[in-house]
Amino acid sequence: MAEPMELQLLCWGGDWDLPSVHTDSLVVLAYAKFAGAKLAVKPVDWTWRTITASVPQLYYEGSTVTEPTQILNFLRKQSFNADYELTAKQGADTMAYIALLEEKLLPALLHTFWVDAENYANLTRPWFTSHSPFPLNFFVPGRQASLALSRILLTKAESPLLNITEVEGKIYSEAKECLNLLSHRLGNFRFFFGDTPTSLDAFVFGHIAPLIKAPLPSGQLQKHLNQLDNLCQFCNTILKNYFTDATTEKRMDYG
Amino acid sequence: MSLAAEAFVSQIAAAEPWPENATLYQPLKEDQILLSDSASSLAVQTFLRMCGLPVQVSCRANAEYMSPSGKVPFIHVGNQVVSELGPIVQFTKAKGHALSDGLDDVQRAEMKAYMELVNNMLLTAELYIQWCDDYTATEISRPRYSSPYSWPLNHVLAYQKQWEIRRKMNAIGWSGKNLEQVYEDVSQCCQALSQRLGTQPYFFNKQPTELDALVFGHLFTILTTQLTSDELAEKVKSYTNLLSFCHRIEQTYFKEHDREGQFGSSHHSKSSLP
Repeated sequence: MAEPMELQLLCWGGDWDLPSVHTDSLVVLAYAKFAGAKLAVKPVDWTWRTITASVPQLYYEGSTVTEPTQILNFLRKQSFNADYELTAKQGADTMAYIALLEEKLLPALLHTFWVDAENYANLTRPWFTSHSPFPLNFFVPGRQASLALSRILLTKAESPLLNITEVEGKIYSEAKECLNLLSHRLGNFRFFFGDTPTSLDAFVFGHIAPLIKAPLPSGQLQKHLNQLDNLCQFCNTILKNYFTDATTEKRMDYG
Repeated sequence: MSLAAEAFVSQIAAAEPWPENATLYQPLKEDQILLSDSASSLAVQTFLRMCGLPVQVSCRANAEYMSPSGKVPFIHVGNQVVSELGPIVQFTKAKGHALSDGLDDVQRAEMKAYMELVNNMLLTAELYIQWCDDYTATEISRPRYSSPYSWPLNHVLAYQKQWEIRRKMNAIGWSGKNLEQVYEDVSQCCQALSQRLGTQPYFFNKQPTELDALVFGHLFTILTTQLTSDELAEKVKSYTNLLSFCHRIEQTYFKEHDREGQFGSSHHSKSSLP
């Protein structure tokens, strides 16, 4: 495309060697890199948008798009398509694996970061508190945590599993199974559909990268993931090839 | 079920063979059962037929409350009660009957992913259309759901169920969608299934698996249930290989039992595919 595009993305900021700590934002950032779309990234940290905006959000010429799936569809319509080489069956597989991630892995991720008491108190809450302006730093982490808990309870805790501790066992075992399935599917390939990354790679990256990189005090899921070498390799490859500019810039800022 | 309970059930299950008097419980077929429950129930019945396991279907008004997890259908086998397709598949596997043993790890990963896709998109869309679309909820869902009960219990139960489902939709982010977007999602899901099926007889070529049972359960129910509008059925009908897939499974597993009145017609559902 010859004409200049001004695509602006609102997302959470980065840390721990990642361009963003928020799963959905990472998905969009990764896809944009794969598809070659230039995004003007505006972190919402330290602005009022931490509580008012639904992150990630894409602005383009007056129209606003939220939710990773919608944003990816929008980018595809603007001809930034990382999936054009996929066959119809692979496109169907993409949808299926994304549903698998959302159903099986996401509850455990939400639990690890937002509900598990040790992680929440020592990592997640301090991070989000320090990245929100006063006085929002009192509200933002608590609100995210209660949204995460209600999502887990409403979707996974059917009676008789009415309290969170019983649900925990179930969601962690499902998440470990999901990670194993992803690892089987990836095998020895660089990306899920051959040598070039696609939207499925963006989704998987967005979900597992925070889990690999975050310094979690109590991370049984993280330990399980670290044993799956090909997924860790996959994550590091993407970071090295597509995101090194971001991380080296950060190091230069601090250096 | 918690993990310990699941392991315990599997151990007990492995001890006895499948009895003759296994029963499947679902809400009343004529007046009470709704689209999503009917789809789940049909999926389980299809799965059990594919395994060659006999089961009698028993319709009860309080099936939802009898179920250990609050979801229908559930089966009563020997002295155990198991609900929902996932646990039932594991239960039958513990008894030595499994459909997906011939698949390798990558195929099993795909099968699980596609089952999640159907649950995530089709089932959620069915629930949305039934309970979050005001017109359908008022005309069909609430009256049917509460039909066995007298006033004022029928109002209380119907609104309670509706509130519960709407809360769930809110938690997963579907409450912001309108009906058109939901139909679009159903269409995309059907497209994915259609492309995966291609020209094969079943999703994993020659052998049916639980994925085939699940897809058949949902698609057949959507095609044969009358809602306030036909748009949902139209979306499915536009994929011819899915239609022939449903016909094929109906012919293979259900036609010979048709005389027993498994698919008795009612004003809510038609008896066979158009």
